Amino acid sequence: MTETETRLREFESDLVVESYETVAEDVVTVTLVHPDGEPLPEWTPGAHIDLILTPEITRQYSLCGSPADSQRFTVGILNAPDSRGGSRFVHESVQNGSVIRIRGPRNHFPLVASPRYVFIAGGIGITPMLPMIAEAEAAGAEWSLLYGGRSEASMAFLPELTKYGDRVTLLPGNDVALMTSALDERLGTPRPGTLVYTCGPEGLLGAVEQRCGSWPPGSLHLERFAAKATEGAVDTEFEVELARTGITITVPADRSIFDAVQDHGISVLGSCHEGICGTCETVVIDGDVDHRDSVLNDEEKASNETIMICVSRCRSGRLTLDL
Amino acid sequence: MKTPPAIPRDCWYAPATSDEVDRELLPIRAAGLPLVLFRTVDGVAVALEDRCAHRAYPLSAGELIGDTVRCGLCGFVFGPDGACVSVPTQPHVPYGARVVSYPVRESDGLVWVWLGEPGRAALHRIPELPWLDSDSWSTVSGEEEVLASFLLLHENFADVTQVPFVAPEIAPAVLDTAPPPLDVVVSETSVSLHRDFPPAPLPAWQAEIVGCPLDAPYRTEQSGFFPSPAVWVDHWDAQGEDGSWVRLRFTQLVTPIDESSSRLLWAVSRDFALGNRAVDQYLDSIFTDYYDRVIDAMEIVQDVLDIDGPGPEVNVNADAVGLKIREIVASLRAAEGS
Repeated sequence: MTETETRLREFESDLVVESYETVAEDVVTVTLVHPDGEPLPEWTPGAHIDLILTPEITRQYSLCGSPADSQRFTVGILNAPDSRGGSRFVHESVQNGSVIRIRGPRNHFPLVASPRYVFIAGGIGITPMLPMIAEAEAAGAEWSLLYGGRSEASMAFLPELTKYGDRVTLLPGNDVALMTSALDERLGTPRPGTLVYTCGPEGLLGAVEQRCGSWPPGSLHLERFAAKATEGAVDTEFEVELARTGITITVPADRSIFDAVQDHGISVLGSCHEGICGTCETVVIDGDVDHRDSVLNDEEKASNETIMICVSRCRSGRLTLDL
Repeated sequence: MKTPPAIPRDCWYAPATSDEVDRELLPIRAAGLPLVLFRTVDGVAVALEDRCAHRAYPLSAGELIGDTVRCGLCGFVFGPDGACVSVPTQPHVPYGARVVSYPVRESDGLVWVWLGEPGRAALHRIPELPWLDSDSWSTVSGEEEVLASFLLLHENFADVTQVPFVAPEIAPAVLDTAPPPLDVVVSETSVSLHRDFPPAPLPAWQAEIVGCPLDAPYRTEQSGFFPSPAVWVDHWDAQGEDGSWVRLRFTQLVTPIDESSSRLLWAVSRDFALGNRAVDQYLDSIFTDYYDRVIDAMEIVQDVLDIDGPGPEVNVNADAVGLKIREIVASLRAAEGS
C-alpha cells in the first residue's frame, strides 16, 4: 500500500449569464446557468457563492433565487460607490451570455428552523433574506421584515415583497431616527423562541448587535459584507502542528496560517483571504486562537473549536489544527 | 469533542422500493418515526404516521379498506391525507383527529419520503439515480437492517481506502500498488470524490463477466457522491484498449431507523452482460457477501461506541470526505433547530 494524495477543493464551474436585469437604482440581478444545462449543487437559504471575476477579483454574493431550482444561481449586486472593484466590474462588463466562473455554494448564515423570525435588512443586505422569507413562509413560521434603504427607487425586490402585506415594513430615506425606533420596537424586549436575522451595512449590524445583547444566546444571526476592523493587532511568529498530516510548521509574522500551510503543499480550502467567507474554517485541537475573522460570533470564538486560518493567529505560541 | 449529530429529518429518504409498496400495510421506521406505507386504489404511494390518533396502536396492524386505513384496535378510519374520516362510536369525528401524512414522491423505482417540516419538502431535491430503473442497466440488490448509525455507513462508503482491507478479492488490483491522487470536491450540502486509475487488469470477477482476458488493461475512472444523507453512489467506469466502456454503479440507500440502526438498500448496476441471469446470480453472491462484511464491521464499530462512548480519533488526510459528511450532517441537523 502506498500513499494516497488527497486534493480538496470546492465546487467550481464556468456558468453563463442567462439574464442580467436592473431591479433597482444601481442594483442588478444576475442569473447563472450551466452551459450544458447540468444541475447546480444544492444550497439552503443564507448561502453565498464566489464570483471569480478576474484573476485578481473574487467576491462573495448571497444567493437570492429558489433552492428548489437546480438549474439556476441568482445573485443581487449593488454598484457600490466604494466598491473595491467587484460590483463595478459586474455593472460595467457583464451582460447576457457572459461567462462567469463561480465557486461554492457555502453557507455561514444558515436559517435555523424556528416558530418566529425577525428579519432586518439594510440595502443590498436584502438578498439572503429573500429565500429565508420563502422558507419561513413555507414552514408556516411567524415572521416580520424590516427593510431600510436610501430611497424606494434604490431598494430591490419590492414587487416580490409586497405580496407579503404588512409583514414587511419598508423604511426608505436612510432615516436614522425612524430606524432606531423600529429597531427598539422589534428588539427592545428579548423574545425567547424568536430568531433575529440581519444583513446590511456595518452601522445597522452594530445597532442590531447592541440591542440583541440581552437576548438569549444564539438568537442573533448576522452576515457582514466587509471585514470587521481589527485595530492594534500585532502579528508575531508561531508554530502550528498539523495533526492529520503529522508535521509542524512555522508561521512567520508576515504570513497567514493559510499561506504557510499551502507553502508545505497541503491542500486546504480558502476563498476571500480576509475572514468574511468562512471557507477556510478549520478545527482547533489545541492552543489559544487570536480570532480576527468576521464569521464566528463571540460564543463561537470563545469556544475555541474552529479557526479561520486566512486571518486568525495564535496567542499561545503554538496551535494544533486538524489539518 | 462535539456531540455526534442526531438524525437530520429535512431530507428525502428512500426507505422502500416501489415494488415493496402495494395494496397492503407496510410498517417501516425511519429517522426515529413509525411509518406505514401503502398504495391507494389508483396506485399513489402514501406514508402515514403508524400510530392511531386515539390510542397507541400501530395502524399497520389494522386494515387497508379502499384508500383508507382502519385501526385494528378502536376502528378509527383515516384517509390518505391523514385525516380521521370516521369513528365507530359516534356520528361526528372529533376535531383535530388525524395522523401525520408525510410527503411522498416516486422516482427511479424508489419511494421517497419527506420526514421534516412538510412545507420545506419542495425546497430540497431528490437525488437522481436513473440506472436503477432503466433498460440500459441490469441491477442486483439487497436490503438489510444494520445495527449501526447511518453516519457510520456513509463514512465507510466514503472511505476509499478501506476496500482493500475489508474485501481484498473484489478490490481493483491497482488499489494495492499506486493509488492515484484523490480529488475531493465539496459544496454546501454535498461531497464527491474522483480518481483516474492508469490502465490495469480488471478485478478477476469483473473480467470474468466482461469476458475479457484476465490481464487485459482497462483505464478506470472512479467517482463517489454524497448528494444527501439518503444515499452514497459510486461510479466505476472502465475503458478497454479498444475504446469500449464497461460501467458499474453502486447505489447505497441509507435510511436511519434511529440513532444507532439503519436500513441499507444496496444495488449493483452494470451496463454490460444485460439481463444475464447467471451473471446476476454471480454478482448477487459476491456483493451480498461484500455488504455482509461491511455491515459486520460497522456493527462492531457501533458496539464499541455504544459500550465505551466516542473517543478521541486520529484523522488522516484521506478522511477528508468522511469528515466533510459529518460536517454537512451536523449543519443540516443544526438548521432544523432544537
